[in-house]
Amino acid sequence: MLYNIALFVALTVCGAGLLYKINGWFRLNIDIPSVKIAIPPSPRIRTALKGLLTTLFSAKLSSIVKVFFKDILLQLHILKEDFVRWLMHMLIFYGFMFLFLTHALDKIIVTSIFDKYYLRLNPFLLAAGMMVLAGIAISVLRRFVFRVQRLKTTSKDYYALIILALIILSGMAMELTKLTSYQHYQLFWNIHILTIFLGLALVPFSKMFHIFSTPLSMFANAVMDENSEPANIKTRQMMELDACTSCGTCSNRCSVTVAFDSIGNQMILPSERMAFLKDYFANKNIGAKGLVAIQQGIYLCTNCDRCTVSCPARINLRDLWFNVREEIIQKKTANPLVLTPFSYYRGLQRSRLNRKWYDQPAIKVQKKITRPYTLIDQRDQVIPITSEKQVSGNDAGMSDGAGTYSFCFACENCSTVCPVVGSFDDPQQQIDMLPHQIMRAMGFGIKDLAMGSRMLWHCLTCYQCQEHCPQGVKVTDILYELKRLSAKEVTPMVQRSDNTFNA
Amino acid sequence: MKFSLFLGCNIPARVQQYESSARAVLAELGIEIIDNPKFKCCGNPIRNTDKQTFILMAARNLALAEQQGQNMMVLCKCCFGALKNAAFLLAKNTLILENVNTFLSKENLSYTGKVEVKHFLSVLYHEIGIDAIKQKIREPVAEIKIATHYGCHALRPSEVTQFDNPVAPVIFDELVRVTGAKSIEWPLKLECCGAPLLGVNDDLSIEITKKKIAAGIQAGANYLCAACPYCQMQFDHVQQIMSSDPDSKQHLSSIIYPRLLEQAMGIGKTQYEG
Repeated sequence: MLYNIALFVALTVCGAGLLYKINGWFRLNIDIPSVKIAIPPSPRIRTALKGLLTTLFSAKLSSIVKVFFKDILLQLHILKEDFVRWLMHMLIFYGFMFLFLTHALDKIIVTSIFDKYYLRLNPFLLAAGMMVLAGIAISVLRRFVFRVQRLKTTSKDYYALIILALIILSGMAMELTKLTSYQHYQLFWNIHILTIFLGLALVPFSKMFHIFSTPLSMFANAVMDENSEPANIKTRQMMELDACTSCGTCSNRCSVTVAFDSIGNQMILPSERMAFLKDYFANKNIGAKGLVAIQQGIYLCTNCDRCTVSCPARINLRDLWFNVREEIIQKKTANPLVLTPFSYYRGLQRSRLNRKWYDQPAIKVQKKITRPYTLIDQRDQVIPITSEKQVSGNDAGMSDGAGTYSFCFACENCSTVCPVVGSFDDPQQQIDMLPHQIMRAMGFGIKDLAMGSRMLWHCLTCYQCQEHCPQGVKVTDILYELKRLSAKEVTPMVQRSDNTFNA
Repeated sequence: MKFSLFLGCNIPARVQQYESSARAVLAELGIEIIDNPKFKCCGNPIRNTDKQTFILMAARNLALAEQQGQNMMVLCKCCFGALKNAAFLLAKNTLILENVNTFLSKENLSYTGKVEVKHFLSVLYHEIGIDAIKQKIREPVAEIKIATHYGCHALRPSEVTQFDNPVAPVIFDELVRVTGAKSIEWPLKLECCGAPLLGVNDDLSIEITKKKIAAGIQAGANYLCAACPYCQMQFDHVQQIMSSDPDSKQHLSSIIYPRLLEQAMGIGKTQYEG
């Protein structure tokens, strides 16, 4: 009786949890103001069902079958990444599946095939239990002894390992004491049943949810591409956030992990970003500091596709980053990375974006960066020679070619060869100061004119100016240094000080 | 001859033909390529905003090549420029070098400056040589007129990159000529492709690229030729924009250099029109 009630409660909690999570896939949303196509108002569930039906009766069904064998039964993607990890996962997966089908569901499955099924001491159960335990042992070794790089262990991982171990150990103890001590058997039976019901009830809220979300996301990705129904892409991307198991593969492969090691902003690591985004999309609540961090993290990406190629859950991270980036960078905080080559991929993809919103992040940060330097807009202002707002080579952190600006005699060679200057009819109107004027402003120590000039963020870094300077002024390098200095003033908290590198 | 191949981020994701053709011609010329899956971003994109991170990113790659005991061959000119600039700085500044090595020691790496960084074109021209390449040319490309695009970060600052004469370079032209194609003189040969500003200031970036394309057409070129993924993507991208504009009749595609060489060696599959 009590057993039945407990089972009923566990199943109800689990079922309700699953419904809640699945509902979230349709309810939660990436707001992508700059993506051209508006989401049709019809509910996303209807669109998803329509997509599902048309897929099941099309040739795409074969992709689903392929994914089922390759990625779910054989998990070749994990094997490609790391044999030990694959072994661990296969041991737990097959050991547990065997126990689930032949032991937990024995009344439904096994007895329907073998009508007189009963074993006093079932060696198959013990073997399967040993398999799961071996998997858990490998996992513990990887996490705590060998400390695999970028594999982070959170409370969710502790929970998953402990509950699995408890279920298996109590079950094995139960099996072994069955013939010897009824008292012990009873005790282990209680632990076994309790942990199983607890585990079952918490499936939707724990790491174990990935046994549903990850295969589903794999199927969805196998039959969808960037031209799929936009509503379905949003739904899939919310599902993908749940499909991530925080295994750290992406962060290991990521091209810019050194930036994380240097700056210390966790949001630079893709797997950390996934964990953050799960919470973010559930309540969209981030403080000012969190916003700056996620803006930097999501933009500090070379779009090298390594995360997408290596993800064992086959999550289409490329498109997920693309859409999430659009939501995040339209928020009010300014992000200097928008003015750097990190924007190149977004530029290539401009036709996918709405032009009205597309330019906004760059305009916003350009304004914010130049705002403190008011002098640049007051062209008739008389400037005192001993200005308080001076900038020295030291301020600008000019390690290489420090102070060469003082050799400038304003021959204007740099401005003459500059392809940016040459692109404007009235360059001063468009970019405030020409390269030679910036060098002279540096010479006079007028920080406002050097740092407030839009020329800095229009520089192609083609080095024509520096190559052609008869005085050996490192013009391009100085422009680089000025850019770094102003970027640091805009986002000080996620820019670690350069001081140790300026000697 | 062996090199550790540095691909960077863009080639594997978006300009795969550069890698496949480069591997094909290098194999034909007897160069052994060593891959290093640990290589990561060269640091170039972050040069604008964070010097420390830029140097660390570049130095880690240099140290990995040093650990392999190989010189580096770089296909991308922006990667090449970034790595060269970092190496130049580290050679001059021992305090930064010390800081870098403290950082690298966490991964059991160190950088002493032993490794040489070479661009793909320099390897072809200086290490293999025009004569050796000539012997492998089996199907010279018939009279195609090529406008070479040198690429800024390879050429300048010449003091750092040591690639070629910064005002009158010849390497690329000779490498084009050896394929049988004609390398034409044109005024914007050494100018920027416009790529660094795409996504930042698109109008200016595209304007600069259009100017180059127009100058190439006016000089009578059949093709532009690049040896850098950024330049190649930029030319392709802007050409696509121009082609979708009904008023624009101009058309000048860009070939990534090893495709041309591959063709002339008779190992490529693509056919180019004269």
